[in-house]
Amino acid sequence: MKKVESRFDLPQGTLDLLIMRVVALGPIHGYAIAQRIQQMSREALQVHQGSLYPALHRLEYKKLLTADWQPSETGREAKFYELTVKGRAHLEAETDNWKRLTSVVGLILRETAEGIS
Amino acid sequence: MRWLRRLFARKRLEIDLDKELRFHFESQVADKVRSGASENEARRLTRLEFGGIEQIKEDCRESRGTLWVESMVQDIRYGVRQIRNSPGFSIVAILSLTLGIGANTAIFTLLNAILLRPLPVHNPEELQLFGDGRAQGLTLSIPDGPMELFSKAFLHDFGQKDTSFSGIAAVDSSPIETKASIAGGAYQTIHINLISGSYFSVLGVPAFLGRAIDESDDSAPGAGPVAVASYAWFQRHFNGDPAALGKVVRIQSHDYTLVGVAKPGFSGITVGQSADLWIPLSMEKGFPRPGGDAIGSKLYQSLYLIGRLKPGVTPAQAGAETNLLFKQIIRGYLGPQPSQKHLDDLAHAGVELTPGTRGVSPLRYAFSVPLKILMAIVALVLLIACANIGNMLFARGVARTREVAVRMALGASRRRIVFQLLTESLVLSIVGAAAGIALAWKASVLLLNMAAPGPDPVPLNLTPDLRVLAFTLGLTVLTALLFGTLPAFRATSLEFTPALKDGRGSSSVSTRGVMARSLIVGQVALSVLLMVVAGLFVRSLIHLYDVDTGFDPHNALIFTLDSSTANLPHGADEIRSVRLQEQIEERVRAIPGVQSNSFAFFAFNDGGWSDQVLFQGVPRTPANGKAVNFNITGNEFFSAMGIPLVEGRTYNSQDLQNSPKVAVINQTMARRFFPNRSAIGQHFGIGETPDHLGEIEVIGVVKDAKYFALDEGSRMAAYFPCSQSPGFFGNFIVRYGPGANRQEIVSRTRAAIAEINSNILVNTVTSLQEQVDRSIATQSLIARLSGFFGILAVFLACIGIYGLLSYSVARRTSELGIRVALGAQSLNLLWMVLRECVLLLLVGLAIGVPLALSTTRVLKSLLYDLSPLDPVSISIAIAAVVCMTIAAAWLPARRATRIDPMQALRTE
Repeated sequence: MKKVESRFDLPQGTLDLLIMRVVALGPIHGYAIAQRIQQMSREALQVHQGSLYPALHRLEYKKLLTADWQPSETGREAKFYELTVKGRAHLEAETDNWKRLTSVVGLILRETAEGIS
Repeated sequence: MRWLRRLFARKRLEIDLDKELRFHFESQVADKVRSGASENEARRLTRLEFGGIEQIKEDCRESRGTLWVESMVQDIRYGVRQIRNSPGFSIVAILSLTLGIGANTAIFTLLNAILLRPLPVHNPEELQLFGDGRAQGLTLSIPDGPMELFSKAFLHDFGQKDTSFSGIAAVDSSPIETKASIAGGAYQTIHINLISGSYFSVLGVPAFLGRAIDESDDSAPGAGPVAVASYAWFQRHFNGDPAALGKVVRIQSHDYTLVGVAKPGFSGITVGQSADLWIPLSMEKGFPRPGGDAIGSKLYQSLYLIGRLKPGVTPAQAGAETNLLFKQIIRGYLGPQPSQKHLDDLAHAGVELTPGTRGVSPLRYAFSVPLKILMAIVALVLLIACANIGNMLFARGVARTREVAVRMALGASRRRIVFQLLTESLVLSIVGAAAGIALAWKASVLLLNMAAPGPDPVPLNLTPDLRVLAFTLGLTVLTALLFGTLPAFRATSLEFTPALKDGRGSSSVSTRGVMARSLIVGQVALSVLLMVVAGLFVRSLIHLYDVDTGFDPHNALIFTLDSSTANLPHGADEIRSVRLQEQIEERVRAIPGVQSNSFAFFAFNDGGWSDQVLFQGVPRTPANGKAVNFNITGNEFFSAMGIPLVEGRTYNSQDLQNSPKVAVINQTMARRFFPNRSAIGQHFGIGETPDHLGEIEVIGVVKDAKYFALDEGSRMAAYFPCSQSPGFFGNFIVRYGPGANRQEIVSRTRAAIAEINSNILVNTVTSLQEQVDRSIATQSLIARLSGFFGILAVFLACIGIYGLLSYSVARRTSELGIRVALGAQSLNLLWMVLRECVLLLLVGLAIGVPLALSTTRVLKSLLYDLSPLDPVSISIAIAAVVCMTIAAAWLPARRATRIDPMQALRTE
């Protein structure tokens, strides 16, 4: 039943990082988060609601995000998410981690690229 | 407590979640409409993209971490509703669980109180008992084996050495039951322990009020006329009033000052006997007993010793060291030139240290094996009950296939449904357990009274403690898992489409068949085992009832008398006690209906006194070297007990204190000493090497009569007249004529005793028959309980078979209808259905009978005159199981023959 969630397989935990990154720009509701990720990835990533909402609730439960109900652009009430102080620190640490990881992985992949072909 | 708040905020959360997802949905639809799709098309597409919205919600709930609490609360509610919805199933299940868990808890409560619970003292695991505490009483000789009882001199001398023990407590092995007058009040029964000065300090039991007994109270004979009360007794008699301290307690003409109350909960180190008062051993002369004139002798061994190990010392080290010191010390007591016999005995003697954590208990030896066997029996019964409930759950699982399939299709995970089904099982077993605990609370007290009947209940604390509750809780969960797991997994492993289509789940029908059949085979096998066990115990009990006691238990009453308040003389004047007894005997003889009466040291099954004897001119043999059981009785003892005289005469009023000493012996004794000639006129002396060789003449031989127990083998016995071994003997036996009114005999005898000496108190009145019954109370309890549980087990198996066959008849209604329509005979139909039951029965028997044959060996020590492979018991057990299962199968089978073909065909 589950749909393909992205055109890539997102490594574990990456979705949380992306969500937090988007939420860091300002209070935002779930639907907008999905769209923003899609836009920012130039349509490469499509976050399915079946992954998005459990992740949002998990982050809220861990107190990395807070949420409250506000009127949306269309006037309907929507649940807007916001980073907490803890969430902001977490995001910074995770972003650093991610950068270090990708640079190291990239380094190794470059070094050994000849061996594959 | 955040999850708790969440739990109650659940409703709001649910609404929010729904709103949030709906917002997403509507936004997505709006976007699609904006990019040109029609409203309906946009909705359709979005719904497709969204997938299972319930699934998303479930995932969101799960990611909040509160799901388990929420779903458990939900499951429990759901479970309770299910139980209420199917009352028939629930009543049967809960009832069998109540019985199963209740019986297990009841037996475990006894097991815990008697075998497991540690003493309520400081660090009980450091305590070591010298010997195993099986012996009781007094011995003056060195046994050529393990020592069980110790002398005060030994306690003192051992304590002088530097040993592995930081201290040693001593308590007299015979608890004293006597009468006491508190501050001049009326005499009341009281239980006393004589203890060493070290007792309270070594055990680490502080005084609740006043002070404990200490070394200064026990420093020299007569040094400490003081007493410490148990908290329970203090509460009973003084309602917790501290003014009790300093009160004088008068016991057997001696006064003791109450100086303290021990801490609550402590009632001595003997499980099953609780002390009301502790009195220092320095006062033991105030409590005379047979053999008591040797008090002060270094081999006056009457004490249990219990020592506290120094930190870091192992019991093995302590044991080795104790044995070494023990031999040195005892060797010192034998004088400069001990006999070879003494040296040999000493070489074989030893002290075995046993863990003292749980104290000493005569009950433990009597009940340890029976309790363990009963525990196994009730565990098996519970297992059978589990199989039954498991089977019913299988059937319900089939009926609920559709429900499960719908829920899984709606997005519930398999794990979620298994948990929910298990919660239902747990709810069932918790309800059963709650009722079971209530049942057990009453039942364990009742069982104890049945196992050890007597005028006073055995003082044993049977209120469920933490250990019992933990046991029951563990058992409850285990039970639920046992009967719930398989059905739950089975119910959730199904193929959706057929299950949704016909609501029956074709795949699970066949697996249910296999599971249900093997469960029933197991039930039959176990119930055969339990019936065999029950049969063995019942037959053994019948054998015990058939034992020739040697005396006539009918129409004989036993009065136990207490002379401790009568201030009777001791020592040289004791013959006055005998005169008193003779006066009572004479007065009671005059009561109409009384045939004969006699005082006696022992009647039946109330202790004993034994030693070796030596006949002049008869060499010692292994057979005649055994101990002879002695009794001291009045002249009419043999007719009062109904023991027939075989040869010679019994003693009479001519055998006076100063006339030549006489004895009546039993046939076994006569035969062992004089296999080829008459024992009449022969002379013997008491002791291994008698001080007074040949002073006693045999004047008569009587038939063998049981002394301690019905299942004892042949014992040698000798009876001496009261006049020649003076003392006051507390058993008074009265035989009355067949037509006499027992109640009237009792009241007139009481009156006669009171007339002679009003200070002699009648403690209890029983009949000889009751005494006999009481001596086999444990066996009779085991027989009754195992019979009850055996029948219960078969009954449960029958319910299982009935259920299975009813189900299969119902399922095959149309097939059977066609058969009837085609002209099948009802007998054939009957057989068709019964065949299944017979097959299960045969397989069950094929497993159960060998199982029984190979396990009943463990019962051997509990069976009297019966092989554990007794063919009669086994045949009866098989017959009972066969009859009951066939009967259970008969009802559904008959239903099969009554099927109306037209109706059967229409139902399809």
